[in-house]
Amino acid sequence: MLSSTFEDYLEAVFMITENGERSATLQEIADALDSEVADAEVTTSFLIGEGYLEWVPGDAFRLTAKGKTIASEVARKHRVLQCFLTEVLGIEEEAANREACALEHDISDEIIDRLSSYLDCDGCPPPGRRAGCRWGQDACTLLDCEEGDTVRVAAVRRPRRNRRLLDLGIFPGEIVEIRRKLPNHSVVVRVKGCDIGISPEIATSIVVESCP
Amino acid sequence: MRFALVGNPTVGKSLIFNQLTGLGVEVSNYPGTTVELQRGNTCFEREIVEIVDLPGIYSLEGESDEETLVRQYLDRQETDAVIVVANATRLERNLYLLLQVAEYGLPMVVVLNMVDDAAKQGLEIDPGPLRDLLGVDVILTAASLGKNIDQIIPAALVATRPSEIEIPYDHHIEAAIRSLGKMFGVSRRGSLQALQGFGDDPDLLEAARTIADEIESRHRMTAAQIIAANRHNFAREIADLTVRKEAPPPRTDLDSILTRPIPGIPILFGVLAGMLLFVFVVGSYLEELIVEAFEIFMLQPFVALGLPPLVEAIGTAIILALQAGLGIAFPFVFLFYIIISILEDSGYMTRAAFLADNAMHQIGMHGGAVIPLTLAFGCNVPAIMSVRLLRSRRERIIASFLVTMVPCSARTVIIAGIVATFVGIGAAFSVYGIVLALIIVTGLFLSRVTPGERFGMIMEMVALRRPDPKLVARKAWARLSEFLFIAMPLLLVGSVFLGLLEFFGVMAIFEQIVEPYTMGLLGLPGYTATALIFGILRKEMAFETLAILAGTADLGSVLTSLQLYVFSVVTVLFIPCLATITVLLREVGSRITLAITIYTISLGLLIGGLIYHLLA
Repeated sequence: MLSSTFEDYLEAVFMITENGERSATLQEIADALDSEVADAEVTTSFLIGEGYLEWVPGDAFRLTAKGKTIASEVARKHRVLQCFLTEVLGIEEEAANREACALEHDISDEIIDRLSSYLDCDGCPPPGRRAGCRWGQDACTLLDCEEGDTVRVAAVRRPRRNRRLLDLGIFPGEIVEIRRKLPNHSVVVRVKGCDIGISPEIATSIVVESCP
Repeated sequence: MRFALVGNPTVGKSLIFNQLTGLGVEVSNYPGTTVELQRGNTCFEREIVEIVDLPGIYSLEGESDEETLVRQYLDRQETDAVIVVANATRLERNLYLLLQVAEYGLPMVVVLNMVDDAAKQGLEIDPGPLRDLLGVDVILTAASLGKNIDQIIPAALVATRPSEIEIPYDHHIEAAIRSLGKMFGVSRRGSLQALQGFGDDPDLLEAARTIADEIESRHRMTAAQIIAANRHNFAREIADLTVRKEAPPPRTDLDSILTRPIPGIPILFGVLAGMLLFVFVVGSYLEELIVEAFEIFMLQPFVALGLPPLVEAIGTAIILALQAGLGIAFPFVFLFYIIISILEDSGYMTRAAFLADNAMHQIGMHGGAVIPLTLAFGCNVPAIMSVRLLRSRRERIIASFLVTMVPCSARTVIIAGIVATFVGIGAAFSVYGIVLALIIVTGLFLSRVTPGERFGMIMEMVALRRPDPKLVARKAWARLSEFLFIAMPLLLVGSVFLGLLEFFGVMAIFEQIVEPYTMGLLGLPGYTATALIFGILRKEMAFETLAILAGTADLGSVLTSLQLYVFSVVTVLFIPCLATITVLLREVGSRITLAITIYTISLGLLIGGLIYHLLA
């Protein structure tokens, strides 16, 4: 298990190098972590020695496969935590970023998995594009669709209570067509060749994404 | 030998059952007609075969009463073979249940029904792949034409092998099935059900829940969703092999007018109003004919015989009962059931439910409640039974209250026979207006005070089809004969009892006691109280009794228009009839039944009193 400083370094390289695709210079790493170039040099050489980073010609570093696994996991934890802190708890972006940086090292994989499935997203979209995160009331449901739309079911909220939907073929991944939408939001969808009439409060629990 | 019929709602299962056994079981084109097990016997090559018609369901792994009932029935393994009926026009969806049944490992036969409709839609069905995959016999039938129905029993008799199909599940589910099997020695099906929370072994359920939670956290889908998705996908593969689509002939889509607010909602009101008006007008005309005929050909000749007074009193009572019974049964009840049967079989009721969903939400229920409420216009008894269609107890309680307030055909007789005849047709419709307003107010109130969860509507819009006149007539006849069986004995006994009380002067004493109260409260003479009380036996008896006690069928000559109007309003609202109370007890329990009874009595007296004191 690496200490939090090392994890931060790997994460920083991961972010700078755009998911480890290219290489990063010592200066870039020091800037990202707000530390001295000399300190950065010590730490990176330790990480190279442990096989997490490797030299590339031109005085730069690249993540090894081993390093990339750890870095992407830390980055994911960061994203999920940040999403939770900003979207659910309503904490400012900046503060949430700092907190996430502190929490990401100690939190267990299980908690992150559960948090992630609770949020129903793998972290936050870039600022200003909230629509990408499918959590909460922002999600697109059957009620947001128009008559004639064909959409893919992304999730069904409260699946246990809405078991009948499952048995009629409305489950994540299935493609449905909105046949009728009344002004009062009752809808008829066609799924598997059958028309199903659905009350508004149930339609609102069917999260959809538009079809390719 | 015993075979069970399993299938989705509205696949023609009851019709097949009818043709196999020749029993008068109801067939309906809306979900949930068969609420109890229907059993029938048939003889095949000198062997008695019992056939059980299980309720139509969408899944064996749901929590509704019907789904639980079928699951438990199959668990008990009381049947020698399962006959799975599937709708060939909606094969993919129907295969989902079929696969669940196949997993039960009971000997089975598959019946793909409605191949005639499928052919009309340009679907070509090849039973070969299904037969090979399942390893069981597959029969193509068209029940409405009676085609190939005769092959079902012979096929079931030789069906001894269960299907050997194994649905490929997600590898996490497969792993869970293996470990649960190893730990508890349960079957594949037992493990699958346990993962979805069904079963009776608490240790197994506990272990399955832990695994299911684990799977859920990995997949972001519940175990039930993954299992269902795997089954649905497998069903799609089979359906693709079985059904070949040709270019369907162009057809008009009636739903484009029926389920739009305009003109759908005007059509809905038109259908309901038209139905009532038709029964009103045609029914009154026919009733008059029947009553006249009894008067001229039975009552007058009987009185002319000059028999001893006691015999004459009893004889007259019996003739009056027959006159009232038949005078109601044929014109009103039969006509109404014919129209209801047409609406049900055409599939229109599910459209009505969809359109009314929002309005029904206002009074605490969902669109499905339209079905019991409409049925209630015919008779409250089947309407209360169909209240089971609603998913929560909250909705069932609200629906039971409202259904018992809907003027059934017997109460239509009162409104038509008394108000329309002696007061006027406008006044008759005003009674409906009052009752409907009270139903809405009651619904609004109950939806706010009744505790319990709210469920929305998830209802399959069944295919629209032209009702078969023969089936409609048979169904209406079956319902009418049920009515006659319950009503006629009660009418006869009640009528004779009343005649005797009258003969020995008991009624006169009772009337003297209650007269001050009825006069003061409702402005009605004492004998109307007797009529009201007999109305509890059967509503239309209130009318008949009133005529007997008033000593003339021309009520206008003994009571004022206001008195007749008040009497009708009180009778219509006052307490559900005995048969309704009996089914209420069974469906919602004694406390709610008592509450409904007290509420309707007070409401009847209160509204009757109000009208009297306001208009007098």
